[in-house]
Amino acid sequence: MNLQTHMTVNRITDQIWEIPASEKPGMLVPARIYATEKILTAMDRGVFEQVTNVACLPGIRRYALCMPDGHWGYGFPIGGVAAFDRDTGVISPGGVGYDINCGMRLIRTDLTLADVAPRLERLMTELFRRVPAGVGSKGFIRLNRPEFDEVMRKGARWCVERGYGWHHDLERIEEHGCIPGTDPSKVSDHAVERGISQLGTLGSGNHYLEVQVASDDRIFDKPTAAALGITGHDQIVVMVHCGSRGFGHQVASDYLKVFEKAMRRYGITVKDQQLACAPFRSPEGQDYFAAMNCAANSAFANRQVITHQIREAFSAVFERPAESLGMDIVYDVAHNIAKIERYAEGELVVHRKGSTRAFGPGRPELPEIYRQTGQPVICGGSMETGSYLLVGTDQAMQQTFGSTMHGSGRTMSRAQAKRSVRGEQLQKQMAQRGIIVKAVSMSGLAEEAGFAYKNISDVVEAVDAAGITRKVAELRPIGNIKG
Amino acid sequence: MTSSFRFLEDIALADSAFEARGDSPSELFAASARAVIETMVAPQTVSSTCTKAITRHDRSLEELLFDWLADIVYLKDAEGLVFQDVVCTVEKRQADGDWQLNGTLTGEPIDPARHELRADIKAITKHRYEVRQDNGGWIATVVMDI
Repeated sequence: MNLQTHMTVNRITDQIWEIPASEKPGMLVPARIYATEKILTAMDRGVFEQVTNVACLPGIRRYALCMPDGHWGYGFPIGGVAAFDRDTGVISPGGVGYDINCGMRLIRTDLTLADVAPRLERLMTELFRRVPAGVGSKGFIRLNRPEFDEVMRKGARWCVERGYGWHHDLERIEEHGCIPGTDPSKVSDHAVERGISQLGTLGSGNHYLEVQVASDDRIFDKPTAAALGITGHDQIVVMVHCGSRGFGHQVASDYLKVFEKAMRRYGITVKDQQLACAPFRSPEGQDYFAAMNCAANSAFANRQVITHQIREAFSAVFERPAESLGMDIVYDVAHNIAKIERYAEGELVVHRKGSTRAFGPGRPELPEIYRQTGQPVICGGSMETGSYLLVGTDQAMQQTFGSTMHGSGRTMSRAQAKRSVRGEQLQKQMAQRGIIVKAVSMSGLAEEAGFAYKNISDVVEAVDAAGITRKVAELRPIGNIKG
Repeated sequence: MTSSFRFLEDIALADSAFEARGDSPSELFAASARAVIETMVAPQTVSSTCTKAITRHDRSLEELLFDWLADIVYLKDAEGLVFQDVVCTVEKRQADGDWQLNGTLTGEPIDPARHELRADIKAITKHRYEVRQDNGGWIATVVMDI
């Protein structure tokens, strides 16, 4: 096997590969990568370096993990999962990422492709008008500081109280869209100033809003799909990928600086400056956790306001209230976050960076409606291919701290993608294939071309075969909004 | 006196990176700022209807450059501004040995109808971040999270 590393990588199963703790000085636990042999051989060198760096962090338990969509990131690899002892371990902004609570939301409808196709162009125009995207975009909600503090404390709940959503939306969001343990006083004025006018905006990069189709032939588990509200018959659904915008980015930047200094005080050394961390129980660790939770709630609120705008757009185009179009949220998951969760070892600080919580059936954290099926997991593919709806499993609880993949993962640089295709050309090609694309930036569109990403189906097959999630449905894009 | 920058491809697969050069710290800071500006917008599409003055000082030139570039990202979100150009001076203070930056950015509020917008920078990062002197010139390597 020809890997992009000289490290020893042992096969545990066909989908689990282990780098022993003896492979790098300072490793406290082995590193495990979930991947097929094909995916593993294509993984960049950074993944092996970074996952073994994570294995050196104080208080880490069991393994440093990387999912099959893993690639190089800042500090932790994208696709990284690591759990630290709550009392003796650390918390690291590098294990969460700059876009705190970047995540995915899926909204179902009762509409079919036959209903939507004749009005798709108008629908995408309406969505593009109502959901601001791109560099520095601002939302329609004007907030003062006390109101923004409420958003930090209440997340999606704040939105529902203000009429931007339905009460039963909340049970269909991880943590009910409102993570406790916030403290807005731990957030800098700079962070507030960057985020206060951005509620309800998509951003740019790989963030998007997509109108998709659930066809019968791409539903792999009909009873589970039905329990999640996915009925097939060319059903229309809407997927949203975005996070906490400038607010979360600034919280991450602020605390990386705080932690650089704190590490000296606590005598912690790390292999990479972007792995800056502090003991979870330290004042710095607690401050970051409180500020990160504020940003996480703002991301839930951001996706909630976007959901409101999506419902308004559908309602305007189809001249019916959104309630009568069956536009319920299927689920909303975070894929950049650190959370306290209980496992056999006790309470752990589980970091997921480009990785999704995937709790199996029966977990008390899940709402009643999904207690039998396991937690819905939403994985976004490239804008040209498909996305997937999966469910969590008991095996994920046992093996990966209830975690799985989050998307497809890049394989090509942004510059190389731009050299390979022009945005206008890509937009035209996609239109010929029946996908209408509205984009603020044509160069940004070219950077997100499908060929710049791994094949998401390969990644999904890997986690399905590993048993850490089960695939339920593949969702095919017909309309896309990019920043 | 020259300054320049070039985007680097082999550092950050999912993000964007550049190397900036200048004969002096002032030129290095101007070249780096232009790279950040050009990552977000085509500067030739931006008019100069407003200016933002930024003054900072720091014992470390590396930290001063980092904060200066982060200021441009902050102004994009907090004040909704993109920029066309920059002038700045960076000098060592006699009194306390700190590096002093006096910079002025010229630009205008973001207007997607007129501006050729590019990538929305989330953060300036410390990944492979470096400021060094080489043959009398100054070089910085900067990776931006997109």
